[in-house]
Amino acid sequence: MTPKTQATALNPIELRLTGGMLALNRLIMTFQNKRMPVAGFTAGRDGGALRATLVLDCPSETARRYAALLSSLEDVEEVELAGETIEVALLKTGEAGWRESAAGAGVSAHEEGGTVVASGAPEKMEAWLGSLEVDDIVRLGPVARPGDGGG
Amino acid sequence: MDNTAFNIEYKPRTGSEAMCEALLDEGVEYLFGYPGGAIMPFYHALPDYPLKHILVRHEQAAAHAADGYARATGRVGVCVATSGPGATNLVTGLATAQMDSVPLVAVTGQVGRPAMGKDSFQETNVTGMTLPFTKHSFLVENPDELYPTMRRAFEIARSGRPGPVLVDVPKDVQFAACDHNGYRRLREAPAPLEGPALEAAAMLLKRARQPLILAGHGVTLSGAEMELRLLAERTGVPVVTTLLGISAFPDDHPLYIGWPGMHGAASVNRAIDRSDLLFAVGMRFDDRITGAVAKFAPNAKIVHIDVDPSELGKVVKPTVGIAADARAALRGILSYLGDEEDVDGCASWRAEIAESQDREKRREAEARDEYGPIRIMAAIKAAAGEEVRLVTDVGQHQMWAAKFFGFTKKNSHITSGGLGTMGFALPAAMGVAFAYPDEPVWVVAGDGGIQMNLQELATIRDFGLNIKVAILNNGYLGMVRQWQQFFHNRRYSETPITGPDYEQFAAAYGLAGRTVSPGDDVEEAVSWAQAQQGCVILDFHIDPEANVYPMIPSGMSVNEMIEEDDA
Repeated sequence: MTPKTQATALNPIELRLTGGMLALNRLIMTFQNKRMPVAGFTAGRDGGALRATLVLDCPSETARRYAALLSSLEDVEEVELAGETIEVALLKTGEAGWRESAAGAGVSAHEEGGTVVASGAPEKMEAWLGSLEVDDIVRLGPVARPGDGGG
Repeated sequence: MDNTAFNIEYKPRTGSEAMCEALLDEGVEYLFGYPGGAIMPFYHALPDYPLKHILVRHEQAAAHAADGYARATGRVGVCVATSGPGATNLVTGLATAQMDSVPLVAVTGQVGRPAMGKDSFQETNVTGMTLPFTKHSFLVENPDELYPTMRRAFEIARSGRPGPVLVDVPKDVQFAACDHNGYRRLREAPAPLEGPALEAAAMLLKRARQPLILAGHGVTLSGAEMELRLLAERTGVPVVTTLLGISAFPDDHPLYIGWPGMHGAASVNRAIDRSDLLFAVGMRFDDRITGAVAKFAPNAKIVHIDVDPSELGKVVKPTVGIAADARAALRGILSYLGDEEDVDGCASWRAEIAESQDREKRREAEARDEYGPIRIMAAIKAAAGEEVRLVTDVGQHQMWAAKFFGFTKKNSHITSGGLGTMGFALPAAMGVAFAYPDEPVWVVAGDGGIQMNLQELATIRDFGLNIKVAILNNGYLGMVRQWQQFFHNRRYSETPITGPDYEQFAAAYGLAGRTVSPGDDVEEAVSWAQAQQGCVILDFHIDPEANVYPMIPSGMSVNEMIEEDDA
């Protein structure tokens, strides 16, 4: 059986877990224990539980296997392979051409009370923000899918 | 108000009583444990309940004994320890159980809630410490949650892919009154089997011309031995097992060809190399089996059945992957094969394998006449009979036993496969002997591993366990020495090892023992041991530089296999 080289991609997995700090500890220990290729991890409160978004940099088939593994953890109530994830950034910039450069990079951006609100695929956001002179920034994510906000 | 379980006057229960009631309600018979400060309330309650506690001499042995009991019976094994060092001593046993998917519940005492997080005497974060090798763990801080948590722990331990579950209970929670004992069993419906995948697996089996069934521990865990045999006999497909799959299929069955891997039979490794279909059930393609994955079974399509979906594709990419209990999946596949035997399709393949085994069989037959491991295995099998259960430690002797003992009884081979825990055999055999007190239990161990839990002879003596121990004593940590011989230019760094005079050591515990040396009558010594009441130690002095063949160096393929004739 000769393994074939597979293309990797960023695979977001959303999960909801109960059990507090011990559950979070077990989850992160599992990432490390199974050598998961974690490219991003965010967690936040979701009622009495935690909702986390994990981004794995691996072939999608491998991500599905990891999702199956995570679903077997007792603390994990839900696991979902999110089809798409976005990053949101709130920023201030002195550059006049930010609208054009955002559009060129595939990032949605508009101005709200002097703050630029931008969103897009994490890698596109990364590339765009890297090309921009930013005075101040708050980055959120990747935490949510477009549409229902991951909830 | 009556306590219906014991018909005594009702009084508010304590957490400890709730723990005992949960154990009883789970049908627990034996607990293997060791008391200490933080678990004292539990031990105070214990004598009031019909639970049999086995006082071991070290907590590691408690975990291994519970493990041996669980492997032998298919039930959940239970071990108990106090906080701090008691809990840390369980760690090796929990990791052993996790690697081999053995259902255990470990109950540990913890310092009282007010003392937690303050580096208190005998405080350790056992839940944190055991996260990587427990299936789940609980720290119970609410007394009312104790009973349902204990019950849930059992359910988690035995469901799906079994494993160890830790329940850590602060001392004051064990003391506290608790009222609530509600528990609703979460009977999770098994995932529906995927018909198309089962049919595809059946079709691949039918069409293959050089197929092999590769059966692992999952077959034993799910009780699928009969289904495995039916599948093999209906298709005529040769069967190989993993190390932990040994005794899931009778060694003397004409379709059984042995086990593969680093020290498996050369003929089996070559058969895998040439096979066009590997039908793998209840196994996880351990690196000891595959060696270099890229060169493993290069021509084979792979059907992989495992109850843990995350195992599918973890090491090798299956052509058909089925996430299901082994027995359910095999039954499903059998239904697609029909009732007729169709064994002709791979007749020439079977003949080819048989021919490749000739040389190994001749060599083995010759070795049975010489003083050494093969003859010792044959003598034990002959004296102990078909009902014997063999518990092995880890090292060369483990390989010799696996290769040459001839396991014909279902689930009669018990060993630490995944973690490879030296010191496992003697305490694990205690668990087996408690489970089956009237059946013969033999331990085969090396002179290194046996010394890691030798203190348990006291436990064995106290309970009159009828365990026979064969030590294959070569004065070395033999497997490491063998590696040093092959890969470190015979630099035997720290592998020569001494031990006690085992005859005298046994006598000090009030047990019988005998030294057996080259030239002695092996069969007579083994028969003598078998005839004694209680535990006996036989100290077999064997060739210090005897090796296990063949050997595939770590990370290499079958093409780099070292055989006896090459060495």
